Amino acid sequence: MFNFISLVFKYIFIIIIYLFIFSIIRLIYLDIRSMDVSAIDGDAYLKLINRIDKLPYKIKEHYPIDGELTLGRHSDNDILIKDPFVSKKHFQIVEDEGDYYLEDLNSANGTFLNGERIEDVAKLSNGDIIKVGNIEFLFVNRE
Amino acid sequence: MLKNDISNRSPRNLLFLFEILSLSLVFLYDWGSVDRATYITAIGLVIIIYLSNFILNKISKGDSYIFLIVTMLVSIGVIMVYRIDSQLGMKQLLWLSLGILIFYLTYFVLKFIRGWKNWIPLYLGLSYLLFFLTFLLGKRKYGAINWITIGGHSFQPAEITKILLIFIIAAYYSNPEKFSKYKYAPYYIMGIVYSFIALLFLQRDLGTALIFYAIFLAIQFIYEDRRILILYNIILFAAGGILGYVVFDHVKIRVLTWIDPWSYIDNKGYQITQSLFAIASGGFFGTGLGLGHPEFIPLSYTDFIFSAICEEMGLFTGIGVIMLFMILVYRGFKIALNQTHKFYRILALGVSILFGIQSIIILGGVLKVLPLTGITLPFVSYGGTSILSSFIALGILQVASEDIDTREEAE
Amino acid sequence: MNSEHRRIVLVLIALCIVFTGLIGYMSYFQAFKAEAIKMNSYNKRLWINEENILRGSILDRNGKILVYSEKHDETMRRYYKYGSLYSHIIGYSYREYGKAGLELSFNNYLLNINDNSALDELINIVAPRTIGNNLELTIDHGTQERARNLLKGRKGSVVAMNPKTGEVYAMVSLPDFDVSTLRDDWGIISEDPNSPLLNRATQGLYTPGSVFKVITTAAILNTPGINQEYLCKGTTTIDGYPFKDYQNKAHGELNLKNALAYSCNTYFTEKALAVGENKLRETAEGFMFNNNIPFDLPVKSSSYPKGNIGDTDLAASGIGQGKVLTTPLNMAMVASAIANNGEVVKPILVNQVVSSTGKLVKSFNTETLSQGIDSMKAAEIKEMMIEVVKKGTGKNSSIKNVQVAGKTGTAENPSGKSHAWFIGFAPAEDPKIAIAVVLEEDGSTGGSSAAPIARDLIIYGLNNIKF
Repeated sequence: MFNFISLVFKYIFIIIIYLFIFSIIRLIYLDIRSMDVSAIDGDAYLKLINRIDKLPYKIKEHYPIDGELTLGRHSDNDILIKDPFVSKKHFQIVEDEGDYYLEDLNSANGTFLNGERIEDVAKLSNGDIIKVGNIEFLFVNRE
Repeated sequence: MLKNDISNRSPRNLLFLFEILSLSLVFLYDWGSVDRATYITAIGLVIIIYLSNFILNKISKGDSYIFLIVTMLVSIGVIMVYRIDSQLGMKQLLWLSLGILIFYLTYFVLKFIRGWKNWIPLYLGLSYLLFFLTFLLGKRKYGAINWITIGGHSFQPAEITKILLIFIIAAYYSNPEKFSKYKYAPYYIMGIVYSFIALLFLQRDLGTALIFYAIFLAIQFIYEDRRILILYNIILFAAGGILGYVVFDHVKIRVLTWIDPWSYIDNKGYQITQSLFAIASGGFFGTGLGLGHPEFIPLSYTDFIFSAICEEMGLFTGIGVIMLFMILVYRGFKIALNQTHKFYRILALGVSILFGIQSIIILGGVLKVLPLTGITLPFVSYGGTSILSSFIALGILQVASEDIDTREEAE
Repeated sequence: MNSEHRRIVLVLIALCIVFTGLIGYMSYFQAFKAEAIKMNSYNKRLWINEENILRGSILDRNGKILVYSEKHDETMRRYYKYGSLYSHIIGYSYREYGKAGLELSFNNYLLNINDNSALDELINIVAPRTIGNNLELTIDHGTQERARNLLKGRKGSVVAMNPKTGEVYAMVSLPDFDVSTLRDDWGIISEDPNSPLLNRATQGLYTPGSVFKVITTAAILNTPGINQEYLCKGTTTIDGYPFKDYQNKAHGELNLKNALAYSCNTYFTEKALAVGENKLRETAEGFMFNNNIPFDLPVKSSSYPKGNIGDTDLAASGIGQGKVLTTPLNMAMVASAIANNGEVVKPILVNQVVSSTGKLVKSFNTETLSQGIDSMKAAEIKEMMIEVVKKGTGKNSSIKNVQVAGKTGTAENPSGKSHAWFIGFAPAEDPKIAIAVVLEEDGSTGGSSAAPIARDLIIYGLNNIKF
């Protein structure tokens, strides 16, 4: 009887092991797809803090800030987030003489800098955390 | 959203399913002699593994795959060890539990204590101390003196020296300013590494010597500015290898037995030929757990665990194991590439190369692709020190997968 | 930064390539090498069921039992009924000395060990297997006995087979040994300098000498535009090296047919040069030289030198000397090919495997291995081989009412006396039996000593074998 069970199980084990391997490969692949390595070389960028596979929409881990950067639900934005919580044009970051400024564009649910909701414009420093709804970004400025 | 969630959980669940099924099968096989302690330890370990894979996500913002992969390897290994010898299997379960603990310990220690890259003298001192102890207290086991017995428990110092080596190399290459003062610094580091290799050679632990060399060569290839030194390194080792072959009989025997084990089938070639018989008898799907004959393979629970796995669980499982190692090494390299702090980056590289090279050497050995050396397959083979040092290495990798604040280091 | 990245990726790729290589090698190993590796008497897995399962019997083509097992009290005893007659074919199976011959290569059939499948296992629970399967050979016991008697007192080998089906009727290698008293005699047998354990039919590599000229003839026929005429003066020099005919005899004007009939050396050395080394080698390879011969017992490959060999060596190869080496089995297959319209068939020793209840487990069928030469030219060569027996060196193999076709050979052996060869088949119009005979270091000519053996064996075979 044991022999019979063992013989059947050997096929089951192989199936499980390969399913395991393939699901890991798939997860890693999803990670890669949303990774943008080139952003590391830039001067300033936003880095996503959340776990990328927990978020239901397509989002990258790095967004380089090339002069200015916008975030919102509308397709015009640099960072496109299709979430009803996010306004069509939610916030923007502008560079001015080496400094970076975060401006809330009259969003419905607000933009939070280091936990506090900003009114209009705020100056950004390296290490600041920008939060929109569930999404958190780290602002990195290499200067 | 639901789909992502499911696929994230599924490897964990698949692992759990695998463990439960295989444990049941193995306990069924061993029906008469399974006692309560074993049940408890086994179930406990399964639960610990499941929880760890779950909690690790919360504790560490770093990689979550490496632990998952390792736990699958560990499961396959312990099932096979238990099937071969239930006593050893029980011990392996305990070592694994300890190993996971050590993993967390290493993680926290490495994360919250800083300044690791400044302690080269400490690492050097410890390494030479371990070598000294090995020569003093060491016992010859299976041809190599690499075991020390203290109070009834034996352990392999070389496993710890392996980790120290990675720290030494990482500390050296992440402090270029500190060492560029000394004109001959690269030669010193080469000298130190070669002294280790020579000591291992004297101990007849050729496999570990090869691992040391490979790790050093790879890191040197990546980081050494004076490229000519890499060439010197290769030439020196090749010369040393040929010299070793000519001068030392035991090296010659290993090479001859590798090329044609059939002529030495009843003495030196016995191990490798039995390994080949086992692998050949397994076919693609294996004979089934408990239905093969791994007892005919000498040392089936350590060096030849892979042959036993291929015999009973099939070539496909063997290939699966290799794929798991490949993904683990890939992941380690990815972690290194993403790490901006140089010291931890080199640590990650060292650990990944360690996993890669060690598994390649022993897999090659049991398949007769490379000469046989007495090293273990990380995480899969039975062996207390081997499991512990592998989990320490994994802990290092886990720390290196997180963002390390470079600012704090400058102070 | 970039070069560091690049190097890291390089190292990663190197490691991944090695891993993939290991996976590839493992797959290759399991698919192609595993079967052969498993069949080693040091593999204890072959022995696991010895004591519990009644090992199957081995029978000749007429159902005569040659070997069988019986259970006495707790142990199995194996009875080798004919002592030394089948020592190389059937071999032996002893715990102390391992397994050899068919006992080794068909071990799993004899013990009814299957690569387990779940279905088999289910059946096994219901009706456990305790009896092995029987092997029905192609061998004809009478022919095997007669062949051994004809060879007795000498060293060498005889192989008799069916040119169209590949069935081996007899395979003898002398010296041999008594399998039933192996335990007592092992020391003497294994130390004997004449190597009684060696199966000369499949593992003995001999210089073929003039019997190779059949292949050279095939190559000549395959080289259009070659001048088949020659004036034989008894000697010739090629690249400074002299080649002579037997006793320096000059044959005069020769065409190909006569050259083969009288086995003129100088003819074939010169024509070998005209054929060229590539063509000659390709022809030899078409007759299984340099190739693995699939068979129920392990066979050493015959070798024809590869690469640039120079004129002297090419000339020597044309007459089957130099570095050319062959097994008696291969030469029997060459004779079979000529008899079989140029087609080389696979030799078969085991006809079928039958379970103890009479159910067919496996049957082995005829397979073509290669087309050595096209059928029209094969017919031409057959005519020439008939001439060898009618008028040439093979007269001693002629039979009154049956036309034999053949070729003799006296191979010079640098380390001793010459080997005496004969290959042939009969009846020429509808061949039923092909033979190769080699007398090792006999010192006599193929025509005088090997041909009569072939003749006697053909007579016996044609009269007694149930084809």
